[in-house]
Amino acid sequence: MTTSARSPQVEKVDASLRLPVLIFFGSAALWLVVGTFLAAVALTKLVWPQFLDGPAFLTYGRIAPAAVNALVYGWASSAGLGIALWLLARLGRAPLNYAVLPVVAGLVWNFGVFLGLLAIIGGYSRSIFLLEFPGFVSAILFVAYLFIAVWGIVLFRNRAAGAVFVSAWYLVAALLWFPGLYFTANALLVWHPVPGPAQAPIGAWFSSGIVNLWLAPIALAAAFYLIPQILGRRLLSYNLSLLGFWSFALFAAWTGMAQLIGGPIPAWMVSVGVVSSILLFIPVLVISINLLGTMQGSYGALRWSPSLLFTVTGAGVFLLAYVQGTLLALPGVAAIFHFTDVLIGHGALLLFGFVSMVFFGAIYYIVPRLTGRDWNGDGLIRWHFWLFVGALGVAYVSLTFGGMVQGFALNDPGVRFASSVGFATPFRLVAVLSALALLLASNIFAHLFFRTMLAVLEETKPLPEAVTV
Amino acid sequence: MNRTPLLIFGAFLTFGSAWLGLVAYSYVTLGQLQPVADENTGGVNPPPLSGLAVAGQKVYAANGCVYCHSQDIRPRYLSADIAREPEAEPPVRRTVARDYFRDQPAFVGFLRIGPDLANYGLEKRVAAWNDLHRHLYDSREVVSGSIMPSYRYLYKMRKISGQPSNEAVTGLTGPHAPAPGFEVVPTEDAKVLAAYLLSLKRNDPLPEAPVETKE
Repeated sequence: MTTSARSPQVEKVDASLRLPVLIFFGSAALWLVVGTFLAAVALTKLVWPQFLDGPAFLTYGRIAPAAVNALVYGWASSAGLGIALWLLARLGRAPLNYAVLPVVAGLVWNFGVFLGLLAIIGGYSRSIFLLEFPGFVSAILFVAYLFIAVWGIVLFRNRAAGAVFVSAWYLVAALLWFPGLYFTANALLVWHPVPGPAQAPIGAWFSSGIVNLWLAPIALAAAFYLIPQILGRRLLSYNLSLLGFWSFALFAAWTGMAQLIGGPIPAWMVSVGVVSSILLFIPVLVISINLLGTMQGSYGALRWSPSLLFTVTGAGVFLLAYVQGTLLALPGVAAIFHFTDVLIGHGALLLFGFVSMVFFGAIYYIVPRLTGRDWNGDGLIRWHFWLFVGALGVAYVSLTFGGMVQGFALNDPGVRFASSVGFATPFRLVAVLSALALLLASNIFAHLFFRTMLAVLEETKPLPEAVTV
Repeated sequence: MNRTPLLIFGAFLTFGSAWLGLVAYSYVTLGQLQPVADENTGGVNPPPLSGLAVAGQKVYAANGCVYCHSQDIRPRYLSADIAREPEAEPPVRRTVARDYFRDQPAFVGFLRIGPDLANYGLEKRVAAWNDLHRHLYDSREVVSGSIMPSYRYLYKMRKISGQPSNEAVTGLTGPHAPAPGFEVVPTEDAKVLAAYLLSLKRNDPLPEAPVETKE
């Protein structure tokens, strides 16, 4: 798509965002490579335990959480913040004033992630999922976040008059929900830990909230903006948008408890988790119909717009991953597959297949508009796409099947525990090979991004008139 | 939807309802649970942890044991968790919130790349000290096919001077076994970790968790 002769106002908006958004994207790309690398190392250790075995800082129990934290706080959250700022500015046609503050806050955020990963590797983690960073690091992240999010809210407040697009609802909500999640969970589990019996439900509420109330809304906001924008048409239905947003907001916050079935929490909490996971199917279906219905009859456009290709694939995976989430919440299913590799596969599907895929689409769309330079196509974006999709698909299928076998073995008291490990090993081996391909795909993305940045630094020309996707 | 206050209020309301229902409720109910008196022993359940075991929790956390080992026994109608330990005496039962009273943090866990450890101390308890250290030092020499990392960084290999230490781990085999004239002794971290693991026992009688009778 060509946005020829952009209005001076749009150029002013983009110019004001160039530095902060590119810093978020650049650091995100680096963390993606680091996180995928650590994930590949951790997976390798599951099939070849002698690999890098011995030193404390390379042990599985430190590398695995470091990988997850690098991917969630380093990659997805940084990329999400950059996308949120750009979308809010673009939607409201409001330039970012005093950009130096979000720039500094973004650098502090990254410094915090770096310190936090060092702490995990160095053995200073309390091993609470997604809250592994020590208290002083999460305090740094929280303060940095506030400075970034306030700027996002200010952009929303300064918007030009007119209807508020559905993407802005998701973004404003996510910007408000994240501090609620992060502050509550750190206060109750890290800074001033509550007694042990109360920790499991709070931890499950937080870890499901990080996906459902933070990363997913930003990815949905990007998808709701990009698909109609690239196709140059209207979103299928305003009413569906309204229904999807509010029902998602209502149900998504409660789903985390389903994973604790049979666990140390009151039975009603599990029931609430199961029921809300089933009800969540309504918004998921509504959102998917709205997004994919907008695509109806235009799938040919996937050939010329890589942004659209990534975004639409991510939207499709959104449906798949959340339907699987509903299935995994059903008590009979959860009883067998909880504690197995099925959960790892599902987590990868959410984080890589849905969130990352849409974020890639958004970054491929936004960067040319900020730099005035097209991606030097030469097929590398296609390589990134197909390698990423293929690797993730193979990893997901093998972890899911391996996890199913593992689950049946664990639930048969006649089968020794060691056999459940043996059954899962060949599937994990396939996942290791896929993780290496995923690492290559992430490197291609980072290479493309930094090659473009270098080219921008070399030439100091002002923005050209036309930019292409 | 053009009214910002409606958006903000709605986002606050949906988030706040789950916050009240799941977080605040957990804090004011589960968070207030106390140990209960045990008439048979004159103590309380769950019993207090030794100072060594409390220190061991930190080593357990620092090395990420919870990413492979759960401590969560689900009821018999849902899972084989109880059926997997037919020999346990007293019998194991489902774990409930109060079982985690001594835990900081509560290592419930979500993956079983390794076996559940909720009742690890129950099986091993006596004289297992040396076996446990052999297992932590080089698990594949104890359980063939084990994929557990080696925690030999929690041990010191040193030259025997005079009498061998009575703390030295005996019976070590494999590539990392000490050469003649050398011995492997646990560091403070290894000792407290072992104390914590051997303290793991989540089948004390509690009013809300009667021991399930064997069929």
